[in-house]
Amino acid sequence: MSAAIALRMTGADFLKLRKKPGTVIWALVLALAPLLIYFIVRAAQHASNPAEHGPAGGVGGYVDALRILAAFFGPLAAIMVGVEAGAGDVASGVFRDLVVTGRSRVALFATRVPAALALTWIIAAVGYALLTIGTFAFASGSPTPSAATMFNGLGFTLLSTGVIAAVAVGFAALTASRPAALTVLIGWHLVASPLLGSISSLGSSRKLILDQAINHFSPVHIGDRANVVMSQGTAVIVVIGWLLVFLLLGAWRTRTMDA
Amino acid sequence: MPRACAFGFLGPNGAGKTTMIRTLLGLTRASAGTMSILGHPVPAERAQALRRVGAIVEEPRFHPHLSGRENLRIIAAVRGPEADVRIAPALARVGLTERADEKVKRYSLGMRQRLGVARCLLADPLLLILDEPTNGLDPGGIQEFRQMIRSLVENEGRTVFLSSHLLDEVEKICDAAAIVDRGKIVSQGAIAELAGGGDGHELILGVDDAERALTVLDGSELVREAHLSDEGLRVLLVGGPHTAAALNAELVGAGIGVMRLEPVRHSLEQRFLEITARLDAPMSKQEVRA
Repeated sequence: MSAAIALRMTGADFLKLRKKPGTVIWALVLALAPLLIYFIVRAAQHASNPAEHGPAGGVGGYVDALRILAAFFGPLAAIMVGVEAGAGDVASGVFRDLVVTGRSRVALFATRVPAALALTWIIAAVGYALLTIGTFAFASGSPTPSAATMFNGLGFTLLSTGVIAAVAVGFAALTASRPAALTVLIGWHLVASPLLGSISSLGSSRKLILDQAINHFSPVHIGDRANVVMSQGTAVIVVIGWLLVFLLLGAWRTRTMDA
Repeated sequence: MPRACAFGFLGPNGAGKTTMIRTLLGLTRASAGTMSILGHPVPAERAQALRRVGAIVEEPRFHPHLSGRENLRIIAAVRGPEADVRIAPALARVGLTERADEKVKRYSLGMRQRLGVARCLLADPLLLILDEPTNGLDPGGIQEFRQMIRSLVENEGRTVFLSSHLLDEVEKICDAAAIVDRGKIVSQGAIAELAGGGDGHELILGVDDAERALTVLDGSELVREAHLSDEGLRVLLVGGPHTAAALNAELVGAGIGVMRLEPVRHSLEQRFLEITARLDAPMSKQEVRA
């Protein structure tokens, strides 16, 4: 398959995603609404009692907002987009029409990943723009993050949401079911992963938890969602391992399933 | 199957029609055997084999949140750049240009069926494979679809492979057909040939004395079988249609008045039912062993 065709197929996959109102709206709501609520509530608290409540923005606000966007709600938005990209063709019944073109099934799977990343990163970037505005607009004279921290924070947000989106594409293709993939991935992200990460008796095996590895790359300490200590190299290996396993499983299932 | 014709693929439910189509198109895997499309073995050369093939398997499915044109753009992107330029002509060919930018969820089943054909045309297909294409269409939609298929064959020289359990539909659309049962083709040929069926020629006779005529017919070398039916005397000739005149002379010579002599016209449905009824009979010991 030529690069031009791969690019056109990715464009077609992106078209399917960006025109899916349910997915785009919910992903945007998940990425933006919690940040908005956070800044509004914190700003109101600060305005009513500055002695008790610090400013909504500044360094403190930035750390909280980054945790909300990159470690919690951004990945949820990425799951929504990734699952739609991974299972949308099968759910709509169009997968068999794509297979009938004679194009390799692995190629059909592979082009979903960059399409999902593109939409996820657009949404994450919009969220990060809101986070930046809130951090500086509500600083109220308190210290603000450096440019390097802001830049690294953007990179961390894109890494976190991108990895989760790619894993979701693979997992959704593996299950070939949107509801099943959404339930499992959201359940994992919201309940199982933080729970396992907090069980200290699991020891160093907790390094295998994806969220723990991803949060290792945060430019600021984002609290209890990153409570397992690991080296940079281990974190990289764990993230790559998760990506490889789920992308290969997704490709295998797409190649072998009845269309 | 012959090129540039509409070819029917008939069989009772469970005969293996859809399974064969799905296997041929690479939607499911074969457990054994070999197949080829347009001279290319599949699945070994699936990409080349399907390059000039369009197919609708069961009902055509689309992304409902996209317009008809966008749905075609998605398939065109997968097929290659040459398919892009065929989008507008394909939409025009199936009469959907005006509604092409509406979301597919607002399309009727008939419009979706036409959009399915437009999607097939993006491949500039030498062969269109249509599995039960008129399922769910109203009579107007069926008529419209039938005309479109005939036009694809007659005006554009494309070959259409149409799988259906609707015998009347196949008889009206197709030039030739194969009857399949238990995964095997049991009869194949031009529609007229298939419908004519049998290795004899059948007549209905109206005579003034049926009892005496039956006696004459029983003794005639021209007759394989004769019996009295509601329509008159039903006679299966040993030879072809030309023996009807000789039989008439024989009856008249025996002093029997012949008021009516009419060849029996089988429909494809009758022929199909004859064949499948025969196949439904329990298999013989030899067949079981085979």
